[in-house]
Amino acid sequence: MDDTEVFAAVRAGIAEVLPEVRPDEVDIDGTLTDLGANSIDRAEIVTLAMQRLGVTVPVAEFRDVHDLRSLVDLLAKHA
Amino acid sequence: MPEPVVVTGLGIVSPVGVGVPAFAAALRAGATGFRAVPDEAGGTRFAAPLTGFDLAAALAAATPGVRREALRAARRSPLPVQAGVAAAVEAWQHAGLAGGAVPADRVGLIVGGHNLTGGYAFEHHPVYLRQPVYLPARYALQVQDTDHVATISQALGVTGEGHTVGASSASGNLALIQAARLIAAGAVDACLAVGALARPAPPERAALANLGVLAPPAEPACHPFDRRRAGLVPGEAAACLVLEPAGAARRRGATPLAELAGVATGLDATSLSTPSPAGEERVMRQALARAGVAPSAVDYVNAHGTATPAGDDAELAALAAVFGPARPWINSTKGLVGHCLSAAGAVEAIATVVQLRAGFVHANPGLRRPAAPGHRLVGATAVPAPIEVALSTSFGFGGFNTAVVLRRG
Repeated sequence: MDDTEVFAAVRAGIAEVLPEVRPDEVDIDGTLTDLGANSIDRAEIVTLAMQRLGVTVPVAEFRDVHDLRSLVDLLAKHA
Repeated sequence: MPEPVVVTGLGIVSPVGVGVPAFAAALRAGATGFRAVPDEAGGTRFAAPLTGFDLAAALAAATPGVRREALRAARRSPLPVQAGVAAAVEAWQHAGLAGGAVPADRVGLIVGGHNLTGGYAFEHHPVYLRQPVYLPARYALQVQDTDHVATISQALGVTGEGHTVGASSASGNLALIQAARLIAAGAVDACLAVGALARPAPPERAALANLGVLAPPAEPACHPFDRRRAGLVPGEAAACLVLEPAGAARRRGATPLAELAGVATGLDATSLSTPSPAGEERVMRQALARAGVAPSAVDYVNAHGTATPAGDDAELAALAAVFGPARPWINSTKGLVGHCLSAAGAVEAIATVVQLRAGFVHANPGLRRPAAPGHRLVGATAVPAPIEVALSTSFGFGGFNTAVVLRRG
């Protein structure tokens, strides 16, 4: 699975949880917090993306995620 | 003599209308919300569901700041919480609290209801069975009844005392009773009392059917106090009343819609669903005594009236014992909106205030032949009636008895 597909799954999660965010505001070098996500929103976006991709990632591995790029890399590693 | 407590705001989301004006029009018209819905056995049975509810539309009349915060707080919430937020916002605006008239840390919030998340948990169960990792983290918050309190508090910016209270189908009335007590104790200067929307999971509905309290699947409505009464029909509503001390409400220019003049609650020392005429009579008498009202001065009773034979018969016996030859008007709002379970007491308190202010008693559309003689039951059409004093009752499985007295403000 390539990063484009993974990023699309993350974008879909963002669109569902944060409907006020415009697609062009989602920057691979930005963070979910920049987009207005609170802690529960962030967790939910990640869960939705995992479900969409059919992957599971242990919660502990998200410790090193600091922006959308590192999130996409982590999900892609497990895909 | 403690200071009187008055109702200064109302809000409701119901099967017969979203918002108090729509609900009031439905009461006047005797409109019912019953329709066939899929049942647990693959067939259909009747219910009064909340259909087509849209949070943004329900909040359309709110001031922009309140609307924005309410949408932000509740847009990812399950429907029961969204309905509670909509009812609370309407009551908040109705009471004129949106401008900060009462400091946020002096506003209390009591939500009546428990086991409110059975339907929500049931919907998520297949996700858990497939892959626990895919359960939304939000589930941990949303599966708790207290999510109603938390989300409404965020929507309105309320920071005073807040919690849930539970008394089975009397939970809505208990919320009113405890809100009045918080005010009387000086813990808060205004308090929202919310009856939370109950949407039982399929197993809970099946068990209610097995217990024999649901109307048969073919029964298209419920008929409280009629000889055909055959069981309750579930309804879905959320309702909110704002209570304040009469003096403070007057000083800030709020309109007292009614006085909550007396309240009472007590148990039957039973774990069963069997109602007790003696227990019901006791709380009715206590609430009237605390209001300083003689039974003969009561103009109207909004009865619990679930349309189960045991429940209706027990209540008619208790009413006969309390009122004797006095014959107040009696109706049951459950004949229009079904049994809204945890919300019922709050829904019926709003119905009582609406009728008291407008001077009518709503129809019991299904009532043709009364189950017992000697009562002044409203029939198939509404009746104009001046109401000074009204009694509203709620009873719950496990021997919970409650009664509240409302008086023209």
